[in-house]
Amino acid sequence: MKPHRQKRLGIILFIAVGLSLAVGLTLFALRQNINMFYTPTQVAAGEVASGVQFRIGGMVKAGTIQEDQGSLRVSFVTTDYASDVPVQYEGILPDLFREGQGVVAEGQIDSAGVFHASKVLAKHDENYMSPEVKAALDAAGASPENHMMQPET
Amino acid sequence: MNWTWFHKLGSPKWFYELTSKWLPWLIGAMVIFLAVGVVWALLYIPPDYQQSYTTRILVIHVAVAGTSLAFFPLMAVAGTITLVWRMKLADMVAKNAAPLGAWFSFITLATGSLWGSVMWGTWWEWSDARLVSMLFQFFLLVGVVALRSALEDNDTAARACALLSIVGCINVVIIKYSVEWWNVLHQPSSPLSMSGESANGPEFWVPTVVMIVAVYLFFAVSLILATRNEILQRERKAAWVQELVSKA
Amino acid sequence: MIEAIQFASFSEFLDMGGYGFNVWSVYGLFTVFVAANLISPVMKRKRIVRDLKRRAVVNEQQSN
Repeated sequence: MKPHRQKRLGIILFIAVGLSLAVGLTLFALRQNINMFYTPTQVAAGEVASGVQFRIGGMVKAGTIQEDQGSLRVSFVTTDYASDVPVQYEGILPDLFREGQGVVAEGQIDSAGVFHASKVLAKHDENYMSPEVKAALDAAGASPENHMMQPET
Repeated sequence: MNWTWFHKLGSPKWFYELTSKWLPWLIGAMVIFLAVGVVWALLYIPPDYQQSYTTRILVIHVAVAGTSLAFFPLMAVAGTITLVWRMKLADMVAKNAAPLGAWFSFITLATGSLWGSVMWGTWWEWSDARLVSMLFQFFLLVGVVALRSALEDNDTAARACALLSIVGCINVVIIKYSVEWWNVLHQPSSPLSMSGESANGPEFWVPTVVMIVAVYLFFAVSLILATRNEILQRERKAAWVQELVSKA
Repeated sequence: MIEAIQFASFSEFLDMGGYGFNVWSVYGLFTVFVAANLISPVMKRKRIVRDLKRRAVVNEQQSN
């Protein structure tokens, strides 16, 4: 390679590496702001003050959905299998909202530790299954546990 | 090291003649894969036990989204060749990749929204790093196209776009790993292997792979057709182009 | 092949389990996307060839 080409290639590499480092460090510093939601464990640890608008993300704990007859009010418990946070919501739930499935709720927490949601979104994992496969796995007691949003160890 | 092979690669005439031979095969393969992929997806993919038939949206979404991540790396390689070796062909490819990449990013966002609006309960979330970084890629690609048309001098435009393309690769890494680095609403990518813990059945992943191949072929065909047009325009004074036109 | 088709009737096929609008919108968009990015370079090529041919004729007349 001719020397002037080597020099140009060097400059390009220098710019690329330098910018990547700068962007990487910025993203690392801002990581909590980029996170879309707090986990129930983070909320239980008091990382968010009451009265502040934020999002919480976890699984809908099985057997905790309580729907109010005749209104759109609903309450459930969101969990990351380490901590639980009760959620209250009034409004239309997404089609994917189910027990044992992921959920992201937006709202604020009161002093009693209850999360009052103004918006509830359903989160899906990367697994897709036909009803037949699901039924077969359930029958065998081998349905894969939903691992998303478990606390990092 | 002998670099003549490399410079031969940069010859527009050589590229034009080579693609003339390849195009019929590429187009044939593209038509077959697209037809098989779409018919398979629409008729044979079983409903998901929770999402019903919306998984059919994801077959298209995953194929287009995955391919959209190839544009910045491709434009960055072409851009580096333009900056270092001043090869004309590299810039012709890069120039025509940008608008096509903007299309790919837009279709990714639109199909994702059409899935999210019924499954997540929202068509857009500003707080989701995956969604926002993909939108950023769309704007970056539109920016590359705009930069090209704003700069009148061809060489200046080529160099400016090359630099922006290299920088844009950082965003591709962010898009790819956003679902692992941060808490987001968007699901992580499904591994395509059967051995993985969360592997999906072949009834879902085989048609997805067919569609991914189909979309990559479409990407190649569309980019090659556009690059050949660019060659005809920029090399219009060359004897071989004039001869080719007189026969057409 | 026929048995593996997931639908019993055409209306069921259109309905897509209640998500017909979203599923068909995606496939419609995809069709437009693919068609547009194949047809437009082909049309452009025709324009370019026509234009270059005209120039060749003009050049020939000037040189005569």
